[in-house]
Formats: sequence, structure tokens, C-alpha cells
Amino acid sequence: MGQEGELHKPAVPGVFAGNTELEITAERQEREIERLKAENVASGNENLSLKEAALADKIVIGELKRAQRQIEFLNRDLHVRNRALEAVNKELEAFAYTVSHDLRSPLRSIHGFGEALRKSAAVKLSPEESNWLQKILDAAARMDRLTEDLLRLSRITRSQLKRETVNLTQVAREVVHELRQINPQRDILFAISDSLQAHADPVLMRVALNNLLENAWKYTGRRPQALVSFGREERDSQSVFCVRDNGAGFDMAYASKLFAPFQRLHSAREFSGSGVGLACVARIIHKHGGRIWADGRAGEGAAFFFTIPDEPTAAEDSELFQ
Amino acid sequence: MKRGQMTTKTILLVEDTPDDAELTVMSLKASGVLNQVVVAEDGQEALDYLFAQGSYAGRNTHDTPAIVLLDIKMPRLDGIEVLQRLRADKRTSVLPVIILTTSTEDIDLARAYESGANAYVRKPVTLAEFQEAVRRLGLFWILTNQAPESPR
Repeated sequence: MGQEGELHKPAVPGVFAGNTELEITAERQEREIERLKAENVASGNENLSLKEAALADKIVIGELKRAQRQIEFLNRDLHVRNRALEAVNKELEAFAYTVSHDLRSPLRSIHGFGEALRKSAAVKLSPEESNWLQKILDAAARMDRLTEDLLRLSRITRSQLKRETVNLTQVAREVVHELRQINPQRDILFAISDSLQAHADPVLMRVALNNLLENAWKYTGRRPQALVSFGREERDSQSVFCVRDNGAGFDMAYASKLFAPFQRLHSAREFSGSGVGLACVARIIHKHGGRIWADGRAGEGAAFFFTIPDEPTAAEDSELFQ
Repeated sequence: MKRGQMTTKTILLVEDTPDDAELTVMSLKASGVLNQVVVAEDGQEALDYLFAQGSYAGRNTHDTPAIVLLDIKMPRLDGIEVLQRLRADKRTSVLPVIILTTSTEDIDLARAYESGANAYVRKPVTLAEFQEAVRRLGLFWILTNQAPESPR
């Protein structure tokens, strides 16, 4: 691929130019000169002898060379890691493409011809046989939903982050409006704080809020008076976003499983779902460099906290490396 | 184009999975679309049929299909390449082509429309949804839509 020449070029030009290695070198250089000066003062000779000056130069050059080698090594390492990451991304892309095209096709055959059989053989089948056939059809439909969820998750991983100022209050209100339209008979009190905003990807934030609020909606299903709130709270002297509900909650012993894909803390009989919603939310928050965690108790509701740190601006970025 | 001629025209189904082809034909029949369905098993066969070449040499090219139902992922020549060749050729540049595929990947949707697809329909997994999708497709593209006359 013709990378030979590139290998020795810094992968990120300028990143290591203000590297601490060099600062240390400069400091050592000064210290060495100070030491030599002090020696000379002590011996009554204020001028550095040629020999001593040459020695100081030699030390400095040696340090600089070492630092240079270190930079080259780090850049090469970064380059190799970058390429490994690119390869993994490509593989994920190919995997998702295969799932999307090839994995579903046999499912359609199972469901399609199973259903055709059920229609044409209905009168010939015993109730037990009909039941078996129905199980086959249900399983095919369930696997279709699972592949769709898997693709949803990988789509988030593969998507490019495009940040802008997002009015989270408005997004949350729109999501709630949609939930109410889908399910008008539910009586839920939503408390959404004003002027919540983040520097984030608007499409992904909508997916995240949709999943969190839909979850709150779902798990408060058995409460006569359901309460859901979305706002900001102080946690460890940090302002974080928080979605709270007074629904079924969860046992904190299983909290670590909450955000893992296809892990569920409730049976499908209790609450429907495949366990991919919170995994999607976690991926979205992590993609933004944020954190997400939850607090809850079985039967007493749940709270989901997340942070969306502002992206470092170009100015801050260069400041970091000056 | 007169309405009566519509049902005498064929539907070209380009589909490499025999099961999917059978389900599509079954669903079209169940929806009351009675046009003859010609199945091409990959992109190359579709081009051979449309341009009367290869194993279809000598076929009357004036006999253009009413619509082409085109799968994307196929051996030899995939759906997008077929579509691009159809759009580049005067004889098929305005032929209604409907992508009928399993994928909902953004990249497939984008490439299909960029290459000049008239519609993009996802094949659902459950039979009821699949039949409904094919029924609507037939209803619109065969019975409702007025297709342009293909240049002779």
C-alpha cells in the first residue's frame, strides 16, 4: 500500500512537538550549564572552559536525539494502531452488511413457507401440530427483530459524530409527544426541565433520549400514577443529565448488566424488549466522550445519569500541546 | 400506453435466491397481479434478457417489461451495477426499476437512488408483511403508475 515512506512521518504532525520529553531535555540543559557555571565560580574561573562547554553540548545533543527517537517510536506506534482500528471498522462494516443481506434471507424462507403451510394445511393439523408450527413462525420473527437490533447497535458504532448545539428539552418533548400518540390511554406525568442543551450529535441524541424515555414509559406501565422526569442534577460536584422514573426499577446487584447488549433484567413476559435499547444509549454517550450510569431499586424506580462533555475546541487542542 | 396493455407486459424479477423469487411470485399472484413474471437469477442474466443477448439473443427487445424488481446483492453483477447499466442505455434509461432487497443499510439506499432507482422496497421477513409490501408495490407500479413509453 506504499506506506513505507509514511511510516517515519509523524501520524499527527505537531502533536509531539511540545512533548514533555523535550521540556525535560531543555531543563536538563539549563541545569547542566548552571552546574558547570557554579563549578567555575567555585574554582575562581567564571568563563566556561572549552572542554566543559563541549561536554554540555554533547549531553544536550544526546538528549535531543533520544527524544527524537522516542517521538518516532510513538508516531510509528500510533500509525500501527490507527491501521488496526481501520481494519476492525472495515470488518464490522462487512459483518453488518452480511447480517443485513444474507442472514435474513433464510429467515424469510422459514417464515414465508411456514406461514404458507399453516394456511394450506390448517385443517389437517392437530392443535398440537399447529402449536409447533406457530412456535417456528414466532422464532423466525423474533430472530428477525434480534438481527434488526444488532444492526441498530452497529449503525451507532459506525456512524460519524456531527456535533452542534442540541436543545435536549425540545427533543425530549417531541419524543414524549410521540409516545403519547402511540399509547394515548396511558396516564403519565412528564416533568422536563427547561433549557437543557448539549454540544452533541442531534440524530444520536434523539435516539438516546428516545430509548431512555421509552424505557421509563415501559417500566412505569404498572404504576397507576407514573412519573418521569428529565433534567439536570448535581452529582460529585458535576452537573449531569438525569432521567428518572417511579417504575419497576432494578436490583443494583445487576447494574453492570444494564448497558450490555442483549442482557435483560426482566423476563419478556413481564416487559417486552430485546435488551438493546440501553446498550445503544451507552454507545451514544461513550461516542461523545461522556459517562452513563444508573441508580435504582427493585420496585422503586430507576434513575439514569449521563454526561456529554463539550468537544475540545481547536484552540484548546493546540493549547494542550504548546 | 393503454391500460389494457399493462397486464400483457411482463414483470422482470431479478433475484438470486429461489425461495425469495417463489415468495415474490406467490405474493404478486395473491395480490391479483396477473402479469407474467420472468425471473433472472443474477444481474448478468437480467442484462441478457433486457438487451436480448447471450442466452436471450433473438428475443424481441420491443417487448419491454412493465417493471423490473431488482435485488441488490447477487453473484456476478450486483443490482446497483445492473441499474447503472440500464440507466446508461437509451433503450432502458426510463424503465421503472424498483429495488426489492433485504437490506436497510443507508449505503444501499443511497447508492440505489443515486444510480436512478424509481423506488426502494425492503423485503420484510414475515409473510404477511412481505405480501402486503408486494401487494402495494403491484397496486402502484402495475395498476396505478403511468410509465413512460420506452424509446424504440
